[in-house]
Amino acid sequence: MSSTLRQIVTLTAKDLRIEGRTRQTMGLVLVLGVLIVSVLGLGFGQSPELARMGTPAILWVAYLFSGVLCFEKTMAVERQDGALAGLLLAPIDRGVIYASKLISNLVLMLAVAAVITPVGILFFGFDLSPAPGGFVLIILISMAGFAAVGTLFAALVSSSRLAGGLLALVIFPVILPLVIASTQQMTAMFRDGASPGGTGMTILLAFDAIFLVTSWLVFEVVLEP
Amino acid sequence: MKKAAVLMYWLITAAAFAAVVARVFWDTPEEATMGIIQKIFYIHLPVAINTFVACLLVFVASVGYLTTRRVWWDDLAMAAAKVSVVLCSAVLLTGMLWARGAWGVWWTWSPRLTFSFMLWLLYIVYLLVRASIESSQRRAVVAAVYGVVAFLDVPLVWLSARLLPDIHPSSIGLTYAMKLTLWACFVPVTLLAAGLIVARYQLARQQRARRDATSIHGFEPVMPIVPDGGGV
Repeated sequence: MSSTLRQIVTLTAKDLRIEGRTRQTMGLVLVLGVLIVSVLGLGFGQSPELARMGTPAILWVAYLFSGVLCFEKTMAVERQDGALAGLLLAPIDRGVIYASKLISNLVLMLAVAAVITPVGILFFGFDLSPAPGGFVLIILISMAGFAAVGTLFAALVSSSRLAGGLLALVIFPVILPLVIASTQQMTAMFRDGASPGGTGMTILLAFDAIFLVTSWLVFEVVLEP
Repeated sequence: MKKAAVLMYWLITAAAFAAVVARVFWDTPEEATMGIIQKIFYIHLPVAINTFVACLLVFVASVGYLTTRRVWWDDLAMAAAKVSVVLCSAVLLTGMLWARGAWGVWWTWSPRLTFSFMLWLLYIVYLLVRASIESSQRRAVVAAVYGVVAFLDVPLVWLSARLLPDIHPSSIGLTYAMKLTLWACFVPVTLLAAGLIVARYQLARQQRARRDATSIHGFEPVMPIVPDGGGV
């Protein structure tokens, strides 16, 4: 195992271990996600047909808000006891720090999605059976792009001592293409019975590629103790 | 001398505007199906193109700041972003007027409208981010990173907006006179956009110079040493 890979594994394991012991992020994020789905479910209560078609969009709203909270929390951990300063002093590339944060965020977000999605499906009677594999694939690719942008901005915003609301403000407009492409793919799969692909898929993959590379490159200048 | 040059520039811009407006209304044939409302197109398109140029300038200045750390790049990015938001607002407003006239609705989620709106959101947020960070050095870094990310997002926004159903004219059959008017309209709009960016940039430079002069060795005076209104 190369040293870079080992560093990434060590740092990611550290993040996940902290989360496993304190559970301070997941508890909050999961409850928030379920709350959002319930609020939207209550709002759509009068028209179940509409809610069924809108399930992907409803789920996305829940992912977005839970995600922002999740990214904020995992970066706030580094603020305690000067942990970030220690991390920055360690003889590792800043890109490694980014990669490890990204992976731990991605793991947490996939866990969140694994809980919120069944809740949404249950509440709205959304039928996943036409394309369960396609659904998981789209969610995986979208979450990677979401976490890539989220991790970068969380580091950027957390180093600037800003109010919490700002993170959502910077992430949402940037993430819009991902949300549009993702919901379009879901609609195509579940309403029209198409398989994932086409322009929507290209956008998802391009989003992941562009922002993974850019974030890796600019992460160097973003972090400040 | 410099003041005279600036005055001259704005006079030329105003004259060019007057000239193209006159040409649009008196010397350009009316479009057959849409009628007089189509004339808004001659302003709409040049403003839209200038919006992209301003966004590109934000990107270039942001990369410039991140690589060289010279503060004037940051001032340039800010000036370009402000102008791009103003221009994008103009695109949205003229587009909405046109949509009302041609389709009978103020707004529809068609690709180009959605795209302009998302672009507007992206750069409004850029300005909000700048406004909410106090440390000027940190503000420059955050804004520059956001400026880079926002611009790289633009092609994706464009592609994703095209997933929506379209009713927007992708091309209008233009006669030679109409094309000439369109090209003529680029002149005043571009002059206006460039002039606004330069003016805002120079103002930012002056503000920075004054701030640096009044806060020697990090000391921020409660009362400004140089009084407002340019006295002394």
